[in-house]
Amino acid sequence: MTTPSLLAGVDRAAFASAFGSRLRSDGVPVGVTGLAAFVDALAAAPPDRVPALYWLARVTLVSRHDDLPAFDRVFDAAFRDSVLAVDPQARRQELPASTPRDAEVEGRGAAEGCAGDLPWHTRASLVASEPTPEEEAGRVLPELLPSAVARIADTPMEELDPAELALLGRWLEESAHRWPTRRSRRVRVRPNGRRVALRATIAASRRTGWEPMRLQHYQPVRRPLTVTLVCDVSQSMQSYASAYLHLMRVFARTGRAETFAFSTSLSRLTPALAHRSVEVAIAQAEQRVVDRYGGTHLASCLRELLTSRHGQALRGGVLVVASDGWDSDPPELLAATMARLRRRSRRVVWLNPRAAAPGFEPRVGSMSAALPYCDAFLPAHTLRALPEVFDAIAGVSSRA
Amino acid sequence: MSTPTAMPASAEELRRRFDEHGYLADDGMATAVFLTLRLGLPLLLEGEPGVGKTAAARVLAEVLDAPLVRLQCYEGLTANEALYDWNHQRQLLAIRVAEARHQPLAEADLFSEEFLVERPILRCIRYDGPRPPVLLIDEVDRADDEFEALLLEALGEGSVTVPELGTFTARQPPIVVLTSNRSRELHDALRRRCLYHWLDYPEATRVVAILRRTTPAAGEPLLESAAQFVGRVRALDLDKPPGVAEAINWVAALAELGATELTREGVVATLGALAKTPDDRDHVLAQLDARALG
Repeated sequence: MTTPSLLAGVDRAAFASAFGSRLRSDGVPVGVTGLAAFVDALAAAPPDRVPALYWLARVTLVSRHDDLPAFDRVFDAAFRDSVLAVDPQARRQELPASTPRDAEVEGRGAAEGCAGDLPWHTRASLVASEPTPEEEAGRVLPELLPSAVARIADTPMEELDPAELALLGRWLEESAHRWPTRRSRRVRVRPNGRRVALRATIAASRRTGWEPMRLQHYQPVRRPLTVTLVCDVSQSMQSYASAYLHLMRVFARTGRAETFAFSTSLSRLTPALAHRSVEVAIAQAEQRVVDRYGGTHLASCLRELLTSRHGQALRGGVLVVASDGWDSDPPELLAATMARLRRRSRRVVWLNPRAAAPGFEPRVGSMSAALPYCDAFLPAHTLRALPEVFDAIAGVSSRA
Repeated sequence: MSTPTAMPASAEELRRRFDEHGYLADDGMATAVFLTLRLGLPLLLEGEPGVGKTAAARVLAEVLDAPLVRLQCYEGLTANEALYDWNHQRQLLAIRVAEARHQPLAEADLFSEEFLVERPILRCIRYDGPRPPVLLIDEVDRADDEFEALLLEALGEGSVTVPELGTFTARQPPIVVLTSNRSRELHDALRRRCLYHWLDYPEATRVVAILRRTTPAAGEPLLESAAQFVGRVRALDLDKPPGVAEAINWVAALAELGATELTREGVVATLGALAKTPDDRDHVLAQLDARALG
């Protein structure tokens, strides 16, 4: 049986590497192993139609679900929307004008430089004077003197200017070294363990003529917990949003935390904030959040987090919510959501900058509804209050 | 004329044989499994819970008439449970026996194959049968990342190294299927060594075909309305949308209660097979009362 092959007489290696580089340029990471598998697959099951080619390529070249949309886009542009085929029959025909889908693939990145869009984390300056070049230069200089930090330690975060915020960001990076851990099921041979480690005992008895003189013991290994930070960037939290963004960046950089911002809907910031450079990270994060300074749907956004696939990461982890508790959703919904979050995570920490005000009482309906489900409720309004936050997050280890 | 247990010659044939064993595979699934067999690479199956990842490996073993070796992953899984272990009790006994008989004891005597305990992966590597075994490494995302690193040698080279004895290399490498629910991102080193297939929830007509296969007792009108009902329930904002496995159990439950068509009472009585949290249950019931689910 001979079915006409879609790629008769084509150099499979050249074809695969060309398609691979097209995928790579569009953000789908394709390794050499994947390409080799693709070439083998083309030989093992010569595709006779485009869907067959699609599955061969997808199974061999894509290795994570997140890459599937980009892969589909490139594949459609290359094999479905255009007749730029390897088939000589098709080559004789005139090439069609580039289709909109093709243009979309080529045009990616053009929209990235949205000019004229104010950085959303910079609020209108109270002094109404734009930063002078000296101030800009001062931001670059590594002025990590204790006095510089001490000067802003008691300043409420809403009054920090961009240079002080950058200072705060650098200070945070150095301070966040404690991390919550839990006991894991993995064990390691340690002198003060409790369970007898037979394997290590026999291995050690080798030195004493196979007479087990000393028992070796296992001790459980401690593992880092996942930390999930959710920050309110609605109108009422506007002045604190940028400081909290720096706080979230410090956690996102560790690779063991997930970060989200919400106002009317939830957006995931971890990939954006994980960038090495502060400026780039904050700029990328601000592009992600489309509904900044809008209303607040606290309960429905937390619910969205719960049902999203990152909701699984909450299991046994630490959840940090930074919000003032103003919510347009009914408090009952928030209470139900918080109850589920509490059941799923090991510890819930709530940061509310309004709690620092003298005589503060959680009278807002939603805040009082959420409070019974929080393990810690902290103001986190100044730099001096932040070590307490780190302690609250890391304090889990004592509970384990 | 090929024997029924020979390697399938094409993805289409593989699909037909999966079909005969009661698993309806789509084009992508058939291509992925076919390439796994032909290229000898492990297959990483990801998808929502209950779309038939584990079942695929089970049926593959049936199709090839090969033994299925299953390794259920959990946190703290180590080489001792997955690859091999030494029988320490027997080693201690052997030491005592040698002592009693005043025989000299060399290290090679204690660490010989006699004292080696095979665990699933080594068992697959050393398997000596007519056809390679199917090794199912189930829910690999539940194990920790240290365990992933343990798998690399076995997956990449088809071999297991025991420092005291040397390297065991498979005469015929096992067919490896890994499944993951994406509760954690797997490491790139593991992904790189595998073919990858993402399993989607199938469309309604395919669900009906699957249900017809699994629950022959149920009548056609019940099957179709049940498949549509599950589709509509999946469209709701649920914490745990029902997968194919839930649909199968639910229709089996309905058939067991003697239902011939969907009624409110029938749905309420069997809802536990479909909605798995109290919130989901209340939500489905509310939608049912609002007649939003038809």
